[in-house]
Amino acid sequence: MVKLEGNPDHPVNRGTLCIRGQAGLQGPYNPDRLRGAMQRRDASGALRPVKWEEAEKFLVERLTGLVKQGKGKRIVVVSQLESGSLGRLLDAWAGALGAERMNYEPFNYEAIRHASRTVFGRDAIPHYAIEEANVLLSFGADFLETWLSPVEHARAFTRMHALKHGKAGTFIHLEPRLSLTAANADEWVQNAPGTEELLALAILRVILDEGLQAPGVDIALLRAAASKVDLQSTARQSGVSGEAIKHIARTFAKAKPGLAIGGGVAGTSAFAVETQVAIHLLNYAAGNVGRTVRFGPDSAFGKAAPYVGAQLLTQRMANGEVDILLLIHANPLFALPAAGGMAEALKKVPLVVSFSDQPDETTQRAHLVLPDLHALESWGDFSPREGVIGLMQPTMAPVFDSRSAGDVLLSVGRQVLGTPEGKGPLRWPAFQAYLKDQWRGIAREYSPATPFDQFWEESLRRGGAWKEIGVVPVQARSAPVQGKPATVEGDPQGLTLLVYPSHRFYDGRGANKPWLQEAPDTMTQVTWDSWVEVPAEVAKKLGLRQGDLVKVASPHGAIELPAYISESLHAGAVAIPIGQGHTAYGRYAKDRGANPLALLPAPGPAGLPFLSVKVSLTKTGGRRPLAIPQATADQDNRELARHVTLPTARELELRGAAPEKASHPSMYPDPKYPEYRWGMTIDIDSCIGCQACVIACKAENNVPVVGKEQVAYGRDMHWLRIERWQEGPAGHPETLFLPMLCQHCEVAPCEPVCPVFASYHTNEGLNAQIYNRCIGTRYCNNNCPYHVRRFNWWDYGSPTSSSHAFPDPLHLQLNPDVTVRQLGVMEKCTMCIQRIIAAKDHARDEGRLVRDGDLETACQQTCPTQAIVFGNLKDPSSRVAKSSRSPRGYHVLEELGTRPAITYLKKVTREHGKA
Amino acid sequence: MNQHPTRSSAVRQPTYADVNRDVIRTLWAPSPTYFGWMSVVGLILTAGILAWTWQIYIGMGAAGKRTPQNWAMYITSFVFWIGIGHAGTLISAILYLFRARWRTSIFRGAEAMTVFAVMTAGLFPLIHAGRMWFAYWLLPYPNQRYLWPNFRSPLVWDVFAISTYLTISVVFFFVGLMPDIAAVRDASTGWKKRIYGAFALGWEGTDRQWRHYRRAYGLLASLATPLVLSVHSVVSWDFAMALVPGWHSTLFAPFFVNGAIFSGFAMVLILIIPMRRLFNLYPYITDRHLDAMGKLTLVTSLILTYFYVCEAFTAWYSGEHFERASLFWKATQNYAWAFWLQYFCNSLAPLVLFSRRARTHTPTLYVVSILVLIGMWFERFNIIVPGLGHDFYPYTWGIYYPTVTDTLIVIGSFAWFFILFLGFIKVMPSVSIVEVKETLPHPVKAGHH
Repeated sequence: MVKLEGNPDHPVNRGTLCIRGQAGLQGPYNPDRLRGAMQRRDASGALRPVKWEEAEKFLVERLTGLVKQGKGKRIVVVSQLESGSLGRLLDAWAGALGAERMNYEPFNYEAIRHASRTVFGRDAIPHYAIEEANVLLSFGADFLETWLSPVEHARAFTRMHALKHGKAGTFIHLEPRLSLTAANADEWVQNAPGTEELLALAILRVILDEGLQAPGVDIALLRAAASKVDLQSTARQSGVSGEAIKHIARTFAKAKPGLAIGGGVAGTSAFAVETQVAIHLLNYAAGNVGRTVRFGPDSAFGKAAPYVGAQLLTQRMANGEVDILLLIHANPLFALPAAGGMAEALKKVPLVVSFSDQPDETTQRAHLVLPDLHALESWGDFSPREGVIGLMQPTMAPVFDSRSAGDVLLSVGRQVLGTPEGKGPLRWPAFQAYLKDQWRGIAREYSPATPFDQFWEESLRRGGAWKEIGVVPVQARSAPVQGKPATVEGDPQGLTLLVYPSHRFYDGRGANKPWLQEAPDTMTQVTWDSWVEVPAEVAKKLGLRQGDLVKVASPHGAIELPAYISESLHAGAVAIPIGQGHTAYGRYAKDRGANPLALLPAPGPAGLPFLSVKVSLTKTGGRRPLAIPQATADQDNRELARHVTLPTARELELRGAAPEKASHPSMYPDPKYPEYRWGMTIDIDSCIGCQACVIACKAENNVPVVGKEQVAYGRDMHWLRIERWQEGPAGHPETLFLPMLCQHCEVAPCEPVCPVFASYHTNEGLNAQIYNRCIGTRYCNNNCPYHVRRFNWWDYGSPTSSSHAFPDPLHLQLNPDVTVRQLGVMEKCTMCIQRIIAAKDHARDEGRLVRDGDLETACQQTCPTQAIVFGNLKDPSSRVAKSSRSPRGYHVLEELGTRPAITYLKKVTREHGKA
Repeated sequence: MNQHPTRSSAVRQPTYADVNRDVIRTLWAPSPTYFGWMSVVGLILTAGILAWTWQIYIGMGAAGKRTPQNWAMYITSFVFWIGIGHAGTLISAILYLFRARWRTSIFRGAEAMTVFAVMTAGLFPLIHAGRMWFAYWLLPYPNQRYLWPNFRSPLVWDVFAISTYLTISVVFFFVGLMPDIAAVRDASTGWKKRIYGAFALGWEGTDRQWRHYRRAYGLLASLATPLVLSVHSVVSWDFAMALVPGWHSTLFAPFFVNGAIFSGFAMVLILIIPMRRLFNLYPYITDRHLDAMGKLTLVTSLILTYFYVCEAFTAWYSGEHFERASLFWKATQNYAWAFWLQYFCNSLAPLVLFSRRARTHTPTLYVVSILVLIGMWFERFNIIVPGLGHDFYPYTWGIYYPTVTDTLIVIGSFAWFFILFLGFIKVMPSVSIVEVKETLPHPVKAGHH
């Protein structure tokens, strides 16, 4: 297995993956992955390898003991949200043994579900049709990072937002922090933390006061909610001016349809449910329900158990009411706030069984570890929402001696019940059979006319089954709202703590993947560490510099983190991303940063309370500099990332002016390209800075991971990087994302300076690098104005080297079509030349030239917004040739006369306040 | 000559016999001081060699280079040493052709310095290359892979410029030495005599040999002269041919050549002042020589200052954002200390040489020379390290920090140079016996007709 790519037919991702999806391969190939079953034979002893048969036998004995005594309730099966057959099997298994069953998902959107229940009488998370909205109004929902379905949202967002035929949607985002999603907003409105509900109601009030509501809505119902707030006090409490609120209300109401969504930190405050109620009401008032807010298809997240369950379980465990705890893909020790007392409660459970294949915190404390197969090694299915079921079959042999959790549970369950194969509630010989059996039901629902065998085969080939789901009409009812800022616990003089999910690590499960550790967090560009984002004003008061260690203390705990000084964070807040601070979980995750959940109270009815405490900051005097590869976010007037205003872009589109050609007369004849000239366009209006391409490139091209110290010292090896540039006032900048890779210049400054022709120009317009010819003078990288060349400062490739970047079995992921570079040579983007060669070979077999669309570069393939187009510039009908003639096209540093093969399309910006 | 001469002007004019005796005396068994110096220098050299070995073993990462400073102290030192090598040829060839008679007593030392400096400089491209074991690919040699170096690359020009320079310098050096080696041969016995005899190539001092010798020496001097200008011009094109702001300038060739001569003079002074004292060569290396060297140092310093002004003016007057930003950054940000140190050492400190007293006051001259060397090393450092640190692309701007490894290698290169020089002065006459004699009045025999 070399690389993960999405299924082009899948309705959710259409073949693209997010950054975490791209890094998925470092799960099965993780060098710290558990290599087989393990058991702790005595309380003080360590986990030791044990034979699978013995482990199963042990578990069967212990389970049988309880089941025979009728104490099945003392067995608890905990999993993450399993929306497919495994989840059903767990339910069936627990049912058969009389055991308790619960699932929990760290980010579970319980507030939306709760609000839907109260407002629309439907216990579900609706589908938000972002692509159909003309105005998207987000109350802190980080829908481009982690919220619900980020890849799908990213594609939808581009379709809604990018300029097409003179039309472009508007995205307004309210958040105290300039998150990646906020940076993509046309208008980022900074509000005081916890005032989202207030603002939603104030916007609703303006709509009602100005009569902008959709016809036929229940005005009295809305008025009852909106009358809780008035514009002036809302403006005062939220820090958003009355004018701005009016402007948002008008823009939103006139969108027809618009779409309001809420999430992120805003969705986890004490008033999370009320915030979602207010947002539901806003959508209702603007007539969006049934159009952009659709019940049916509902999101699978609606099926996650309420968080209260986790708390109840902890209590039962603490009371000694749980004898056997089975954990399937769950790491509660890390993913629950320490204040909940899980660590203590776990000690009271005599037998903790973990099915995790990674040495995570909870698994380290388990008595029996039965590592499950990775999803790529096993059968499985997953339904992200109604009407979409992905079907997975094993794509690789198991790397280690792991066994499918489904298989193990079936076998163990049968032994406990004493039923033979083929009989009883757990009659299936293996999980595969159970899955196939489950799909008989799915077949009846999805394709009743097709014989099952045919349906099964088609689904396997297609990678799942999907169907349209009809929209369920709903009626709004009155629901309680608060109309005041969310209450926050702790020192009133303190700073409100914003704990937010990381788009690289999610709830922390990504932290063991070195690719994710080394990919910069786009907004801060920090790698390998976590940090506390401190507003510049506060930092000044405390005398903090970037990288100074800060003690962050809340009523529930304290952690120490290096400071990241932010000009744009709300002055009354500090922010810490979730995901780091593991105390176990392998060499890449362990002892890196700190876990902000330690600062939070135990989960309440609305899930994890990410916005619930105030903290105080103390400078410790220590320093831990952050590894940030981007020296500055200021372009210094160099116009690397460019933008045009929407009216100008419209006008340009009408005129269809070709991009200005830099006029650099040359005495040399132009290069000739007999068949192809490969080129690329990157639309920075579509780029959302998600970094998926960065990891795709690393996976495809065997790019080594170099570690924190080397990244900090300008020696990272990324062939492709996402640069974040900011313009305008530091507190409220315009953010531009610029994917930067080798520009494959026609007049490449790197080529003439190489004394040995290691860097040369191919007759297909590629700037090629011959690794085994390079002697390492590094002249080329000095002379490359873009500095996209990467030098092998250390010996990353050889297994005997102390810098070896591919410890066993990570080397199994290496792409056999790409050389692993040796010590002392220069490397860089090749435009995936191995894919070009494969496509040319294929075309030659068919006796033709490579056609447009025959191949995609790795970065292009995974881009959720399809901002990257690659192809043959010589073919005037190719997509790349057309888009490179876009009136928004330009070349980075074109005044140097390098004539890059990569054309960038300028970002289209809306003037603030006029969106 | 028994009492220690304090002022060489007071010294009696030596005779031919004195010259032979005084110069060959320097080759006698070394003193403990000499051995002391040798062991210090040898230890430093060993540390440098170990550091290089480590770097080859572990990778170029051991040196502090990074993006954007893909070049740093190694190329700095390379250019520095090439520059040092320039004064030697200038003194021996150009001054010879201009018949500047004061060169006679110092040119041997200067030539040796040239050869050793070029030998030191030549190491740095090897030390610098990521895969030094393939550095021979820079040479155009026939091979079964039909691969040829890229003649458009200034690095290949360097290979030719430097190898030519080294060849000519060595030949010139050796030819100049030949009559002196013969003199040493005649003064020595045993195996030494045989070795010196072999190197003397059968020199007997006949008229015929002298005639040929003079002609050959003149021709070699004429051949070497253009190299003084060309070698450092070519080295400067490593920078001028590149795109980097602050590098891409037509000013570079004369700027570098002058700087090279400037630093070379300083190095000659640094070498001959202690040598004069150590070997008691006051009658031959007189204050007149030091005065002349001081004047030349001053002139080259003034020219260099002019170039500095030009450099800054061009950057400012070009109106080009990149050039201006680069210059401004160098002068005011992280590396400002190095920037201003360069101006102090190269433009301000040498101004004291306007005073004749300073030019003949050896401690002053010595201090100024050391400052000039420091300044010239930092001049190259400022071009390379801060120059690359703030180039076109703000994303990758960065600060270079030296490591133990690259520092030891650079210091080791000085040790390598000095060990060669120290060795030389004990095996070869470090003042030209022949040419010094030429400047003396002919010995007159009684009954001269």
